Amino acid sequence: MNAVTTRYIILWVFSAAFIAAFATYSSISNINLGQPEFITGYVLFGLMLGLATFNARKKLSMVPFGRSAYWLAVHVVGGIAALGLFFIHTGNVWPTGAYEQALAIVFYLVTISGIFGYIIQKIYPKRLVQTELEIIYERIPAELSELREKSESITIACTENTGSDTLARHYMESLRWYFQRPRFFLSHALGGAAAEHWINQSYQTVSRYLSEAEREYLNNLNDLAKYKSKIDFHFACQSMMKYWLLAHVPLAAAVLALIFWHVIVVNVYAL
Amino acid sequence: MSTVAMMARPQRWEAPFGPEMTETEVEKLLNLPEFRAIDSESFPKHTPLSGILENDTRIMKYKSGDIVVREGDYGNSAFLVISGKVRVVINPSLPRSMIGRESTKKRNFIEALSQLWTNSSEPELRDTSRYGSQALRDPDSGDLTSSHVFIQDIPAVLNSHQTAELESGALFGELAALGRVPRTASIFAENDAELLEIRWQGLREIRKYDTEWRRKIDERYRENALKVHLKETPLFSDLEPEELEEVANSTLFETFGSFDWNVSYKRMREQGKSAEEPIIAKQGNYPDGLLMVRAGFARVSIKMGTGQRTLTYLGAGDYFGFDELWANKTTGEQSLQTSLSALGYVDILRVPAPIIEKYVFPKIKDNPKPLLTPSLSKSMEADAPMEWALDQRFINGTMAMLIDLERCVRCDDCVRACASTHGGNPRFIRHGRTFDNWMVTNACMHCEDPVCMIGCPTGAIHRSLDSGAVVINDDTCIGCGTCANSCPYNNIRLVEIRDLKGQPLRDPGTQKPISKATKCDLCSNNPGGPACVRACPHDALRRVNFQGEETFTGVKV
Repeated sequence: MNAVTTRYIILWVFSAAFIAAFATYSSISNINLGQPEFITGYVLFGLMLGLATFNARKKLSMVPFGRSAYWLAVHVVGGIAALGLFFIHTGNVWPTGAYEQALAIVFYLVTISGIFGYIIQKIYPKRLVQTELEIIYERIPAELSELREKSESITIACTENTGSDTLARHYMESLRWYFQRPRFFLSHALGGAAAEHWINQSYQTVSRYLSEAEREYLNNLNDLAKYKSKIDFHFACQSMMKYWLLAHVPLAAAVLALIFWHVIVVNVYAL
Repeated sequence: MSTVAMMARPQRWEAPFGPEMTETEVEKLLNLPEFRAIDSESFPKHTPLSGILENDTRIMKYKSGDIVVREGDYGNSAFLVISGKVRVVINPSLPRSMIGRESTKKRNFIEALSQLWTNSSEPELRDTSRYGSQALRDPDSGDLTSSHVFIQDIPAVLNSHQTAELESGALFGELAALGRVPRTASIFAENDAELLEIRWQGLREIRKYDTEWRRKIDERYRENALKVHLKETPLFSDLEPEELEEVANSTLFETFGSFDWNVSYKRMREQGKSAEEPIIAKQGNYPDGLLMVRAGFARVSIKMGTGQRTLTYLGAGDYFGFDELWANKTTGEQSLQTSLSALGYVDILRVPAPIIEKYVFPKIKDNPKPLLTPSLSKSMEADAPMEWALDQRFINGTMAMLIDLERCVRCDDCVRACASTHGGNPRFIRHGRTFDNWMVTNACMHCEDPVCMIGCPTGAIHRSLDSGAVVINDDTCIGCGTCANSCPYNNIRLVEIRDLKGQPLRDPGTQKPISKATKCDLCSNNPGGPACVRACPHDALRRVNFQGEETFTGVKV
């Protein structure tokens, strides 16, 4: 067990104890006609601010603020703890009042997007390794462009050398679309086999009309298509792993802004 | 019809060491006692002694106080004193400032943080006023008579340091040149001196074909380094001084593989072939001695099917054949159970079996545990990553960047962290050779055998005395690209630099951009160690020593 895993275990235990303590406190305070919402609310606000510092830490990688892996562990466990604390604070899953409901929606969206990001970051890297291909995300357009050129060259060579335009016609009707840009994004992201199915169908569709010589060219195109499918898979998974943050981070900023206003309103009108 | 361009096959001496060497000067050298005594007939026709002197040597002139070699530099040449006197500084070493090495100041927390707003939007800015002060010589000037670094107050140095005088006929620097180890002492000219600098290729040829030079070089090695090496080896540590002397005198020196293995390795990689591995000892042969690795790496393997299965690999200080020698002594005759082959270049010390039996075995009280038993118990699958690392020669790395691709989310936080600590440009590429879920990225591995240092004309690339990391002194780097071409793993990059205003710098003569070699320096100037490791949120990135057992399993930061 490595140091990060150990810290996750410690954090989960600590977090469970933290939530249990606040649940107990809240329950006792309610029985005694107290207002535990003030304490739980401020603790939740502090916790949310703390969670947001993870993004700031990423910008400060030049200073020794500890390993980012530890920060992520705190962020993940703290995020789940915040959800628990949110339930304790509101007393239910859906608060009353339009503003609070809006706040709750954004809070849930942040939490859901965070959990979604965490899950795909656990699943996708393992699936990417299984492609036995590694490609830098920014290199994908150039790689696809090279593949497109190669596929067009093969098609032209087929026409020139065999005198038949059947494969060229199939390329223009079908394969050109496939080689143009990344395809089957959703299928790749969801773990489907649509691309593989499409490539096989495309092969069988034209194969029956080709001579042996032309089929050699088709086989080469088929190899390129399968290779492109792996790149498309990388594109889909790496895009998802990058762009989920585009939802999570702005939503987190929005929830902080909403909480800030909520604190002001509560302090002005409820005290 | 296609035409074929013709050119003469490149020859070894197309680029002489000193282009100004003339036949007259070679004649003059041949009259020196050190060369007069050599039987030139013992040299092959294609490598005559006169050819070596003309192409593999150059005459260097030093003024009083000039530093000739600097402690810690990786030299690839030896020196013969022709005239004048030079002094070796034995103890204490000359201060870093005196030998032209400015200490790199580590940033404190605030200075590190200030990079957040001081980093320019333009990458690779340099303070050019710092340049040109620390190189021993200006490699571009062709002037072999002026040194950049010199001692101003020689009497003061002589008073405060223990030194030794070297006069005409003295040879020095040969151990660093042939053994690829750093210079152990600084040497300066006491008065105006003329030295013959012999590059390692020539020195090896002379040692190979002339028995007297070989005897002299080997004797100096036995005297200066071998005894220390033996004493540090547990097997010989209990020996009395006279016994150690006997062992040292009986030890044979052998080399396997090409000294510049990195060149052939790179070529073979480009051609998609496996690198050659000369056999040092073959399974089934009689063990005639204990083989000790002095430098480089060797693979221990056993026959499996039609191939060889790697059991382990040996580095400097490891030895081979002990189990069989011990078995021969105790249970009867046993041939070598495994083979040993050279991974790149290997220096081997062969201690004959009778010497081991006479001096080492009597000191062993308990039956020693066989060295290779644990390795044999592993499955082929468990050994596969190590086989791969050996084939790729990654075993050379002491701080290689290893990424677990099953954890890596390709977020590039490591790359951004590296860029933000290095003025806006990362010092590695998050890409490299992969095996299963492991990737060794194109980041400097801080090799055990840093071949990149060989040939650096200014000594800019060096091993840090503080951390042991291989670093480039930007102030003395001339951007010649020798290190980048030598690195077998393509981990050094030349970048075009700008001045502090962000203006690209160009050479006024050629109008070509000024370049500097850059590579991972383990964030040696920054507090907290490598930023890439700290920045990885998924614990996917580690800096590993490939000689560690837990490289592919445990966490090692």
